Amino acid sequence: CHTSRMPTPKGKELAQNLPREELTHLILKLLQAWKEPLSHFNQHIEHHQELSDDSLSKAKQISNMVHELKTGVEKVTEKARFSINSLNGMASSEAAGLSISNEANLMSDSDFIHCFRRDSNKVQSYLKILKCKIMPENSC
Amino acid sequence: MMQKFISSVQIILLLSWTTVCLFGQSFPGKPKIVRCRSLEKDTFSCWWKPGSDGRLPTNYTLFYSKDSEEKIYECPDYRTSGPNSCYFDKKHTNHRTTYNITVMATNEFGSNSSDPQYVDVTCIVQPDSPVDLSLETKTSAGVTDLWAKWSPPPSAHNSSSWHVYHYELRFKPEEEEKWETVSVGVQTQYKVVKLNAGLKYGVQVRCMLDCGEWSEWSPERQIQIPNGQSPPEKPTIIKCRSPEKETFTCWWKPGLDGGHPTNYTLLYSKEGEEQIYECPDYRTAGPNSCYFDKKHTSFWTIYNITVKATNEMGSNSSDPHYVDVTYIVQPDPPVNVTLELKKPINRKPYLVLTWFPPPLADVRSGWLTLEYELRLKPEEGEEWEVRKLQIFARLYFFLHTYYVNLRHVSLNNFICFLDYRVKDMIVWIIVGVLSSLICLIMSWTMVLKGYRMIAFILPPVPGPKIKGIDTHLLEAGKSEELLSALGCHGFPPTSDCEELLIEYLEVEDSEDQQLRQSHNNGHPGKNAKMTSKETDSDSGRGSCDSPSLLSEKCRESCTLPSKLPSQDVREIHENNAGKKGWETQCVASSEDKALPFNIAGTKSSTWPAANTHPSTFAYHSTVDAQKITLSTTNVNAAPVLVGNEEKHQSRYSTSETLCEENLEKQREMENMHSKNDQSTIQVNQNKLNEKSSFLNAKIMDYVEVHKVRQDENSAVLLKHKENNGKIEKYTISGNSKEYTKVSTVVDHNILVLMPDPRVQHTPVYQEPAKEMSQTLQQGQVEKNMSYCLPVPSECQREAGGSEYMDPSSFMPSFK
Repeated sequence: CHTSRMPTPKGKELAQNLPREELTHLILKLLQAWKEPLSHFNQHIEHHQELSDDSLSKAKQISNMVHELKTGVEKVTEKARFSINSLNGMASSEAAGLSISNEANLMSDSDFIHCFRRDSNKVQSYLKILKCKIMPENSC
Repeated sequence: MMQKFISSVQIILLLSWTTVCLFGQSFPGKPKIVRCRSLEKDTFSCWWKPGSDGRLPTNYTLFYSKDSEEKIYECPDYRTSGPNSCYFDKKHTNHRTTYNITVMATNEFGSNSSDPQYVDVTCIVQPDSPVDLSLETKTSAGVTDLWAKWSPPPSAHNSSSWHVYHYELRFKPEEEEKWETVSVGVQTQYKVVKLNAGLKYGVQVRCMLDCGEWSEWSPERQIQIPNGQSPPEKPTIIKCRSPEKETFTCWWKPGLDGGHPTNYTLLYSKEGEEQIYECPDYRTAGPNSCYFDKKHTSFWTIYNITVKATNEMGSNSSDPHYVDVTYIVQPDPPVNVTLELKKPINRKPYLVLTWFPPPLADVRSGWLTLEYELRLKPEEGEEWEVRKLQIFARLYFFLHTYYVNLRHVSLNNFICFLDYRVKDMIVWIIVGVLSSLICLIMSWTMVLKGYRMIAFILPPVPGPKIKGIDTHLLEAGKSEELLSALGCHGFPPTSDCEELLIEYLEVEDSEDQQLRQSHNNGHPGKNAKMTSKETDSDSGRGSCDSPSLLSEKCRESCTLPSKLPSQDVREIHENNAGKKGWETQCVASSEDKALPFNIAGTKSSTWPAANTHPSTFAYHSTVDAQKITLSTTNVNAAPVLVGNEEKHQSRYSTSETLCEENLEKQREMENMHSKNDQSTIQVNQNKLNEKSSFLNAKIMDYVEVHKVRQDENSAVLLKHKENNGKIEKYTISGNSKEYTKVSTVVDHNILVLMPDPRVQHTPVYQEPAKEMSQTLQQGQVEKNMSYCLPVPSECQREAGGSEYMDPSSFMPSFK
């Protein structure tokens, strides 16, 4: 995975010990790191004839969701008044901590999906922790 | 003899046989039930063998009864199993009963029954084979024994519970043909001994009920007899699970141990790392398991796990098992589940289900999120109904309640899942709705009360209301502005005006003389402008003064201040025929040494003769009056300015402006006594002669206040141009006093004015008989005090106490 080298907490305590700003920054970095690979992937699978239209539309939907999620997290941080450096200008590979920008493109499709699944699970877990830190009253 | 006997016997026999043959019919023979068998499950058939049928068609019927019952049934099916048979299908086959079966043969002669046959159904039904045959080899002391274990066939009916199965086992090596059969007895396990090591054996087992038949042989199981010393077989990893997403456990299944005690070790490595670790804990989770505690658990990394079996002969490793802990989370069930039945009044009863999440799950921090599912089934029902519980994260409390509306609920397992979803756009929807509501309300209000709103926002321009001139304003000495505001700039004169004009001109001429006279006495000043203005003002002097009014002595011309008086024409009307005029002099304190011309705001003179538009006339007249005054002043060079015609005019203009200024400042300076130096007020009094001539025209004359000496508490010196008058000094209390009220008239020339109690600044002054130019010269008015003094020289104070005097009343006095 191209995000393998990103220093992310791999356990509950590690994630909980991170301050909120760092955690949010990490989430945003992860989301940013997938932005370009997702668009590349979408372009790539459009030429696949074996895939159904459903799959293609799903893939596009997923890219949109990632983008929306990133926007949403940024809004949340604004409201919660974190000080976060904007990551908008950062390239995906830069966000992933890579020096080579093409590494994301070298993955095979199955690897890509596997990596994306894992990272989205990561983002989900971090967001849940963040949510309970910010708003502990609901369902925490 | 013998022959005859034998032949008779033969004949008899032949006859009987013939008879028998001819008639042949007799009782049927007794049938015999041959056997009853169960060819299929839950069915059986019985066959019989008919007896002799007596040469007649015979009908066979089978009767049976169950157990010891009295009731007798007939065979349900004679055909399925063939002739002379009876087929009992499933419905008629009861395993628990003993059938008492008899067959009856019937023909014309009679019937004959077979012996009863008791059939126990269970005994005739072939049982199923034994199941779950397992083989195990145990090697000890170099001897390998084969242990075979099995289970009895599943009995669909409980009837066979008191029947005992007998088992038989057979085995043979794989390559051979012949089976070796062993009778096991009633046990369900058996040890096979004396097996050749290294060979592969097959084993089968069958069973039999004590009264029935043997079942079929069970499927063959094979087993390899170990050589006595061989490495263990490969273990297999069964599963790995994490109950709370913080730790996880893996279980494996060992293979054959190869005859020696085998040790199992679990080895793992993490994704991306080379190093191999061993399981940290073999015990916590039981045998053949490995428990990874918190320290050793990492998420989002793939573990490569293998199990190695080792014995003296060697080792064998299982296939690698890849696991990512995030995907193997299986939480424990919820705890403290309680179910309550609530029966509120007037409502349907309902159930309240409460539970707690499993203790290990850390939901507080959000690391693990649980979803719940409910399964319920009515008591009589067969199917479980599964309901997913939509618990939104925001409404999630540690105590969950769920309302169930059912008649009967039987609780069973609960399953925990992960994940939740939160959607929240409600806030924005509410905001949008509220704002649209507000807009609607506002627009509706605007429509209904639009007129009023507009009126509120943009007040309508008030229609012209001319109420007259405010006394206060007039007194304040701002008559100039007022008159200018009145707009008397040359309105077209009416026919009446012509007279006035004429009269006016008359006055002017006489005034001129006086002006010249006073000019000598006056100070040089800048009159050029004034003159020009005078002449200019001449043209504009077409005031519509009524003759009567003009004839009034006490005509006051007042230049009013900027404030348009709201003053009442009425008030003036109220007075005697409303023919009042007054002359007001603006006394402005200015830096000029000359007398300031202060035009106080006073009432506008009304010219009631003009019934039409009296107010306008009033205004106009005042303005004109002002101008007239000014002109007269100019002529006299006195009423405003001290003896300086030039100055008059100039001063008029300047003083006008000054007056205006001063009037404006008057209010500010009203209370400034200290700074008020001697403000000289000059009042010129017109000549009586002039006035008398004026009186014909009823023109009010004006008096110029000469001087006011403050130190003497307001001394107002009135200067009479003819130097006839005295000069009396009165102190003015306070500089800023206005003298608008006439107290008395002294002599015939002196008018005593007094401050109006209403207006504090009414000065009291007397008309001097003499001219006090010198005093005027001396007095320097430094400050900007201005006040208007109504100077009706020949006016007496009215008895009514009004400020303004009716000139007509004075007429006789002068004459």
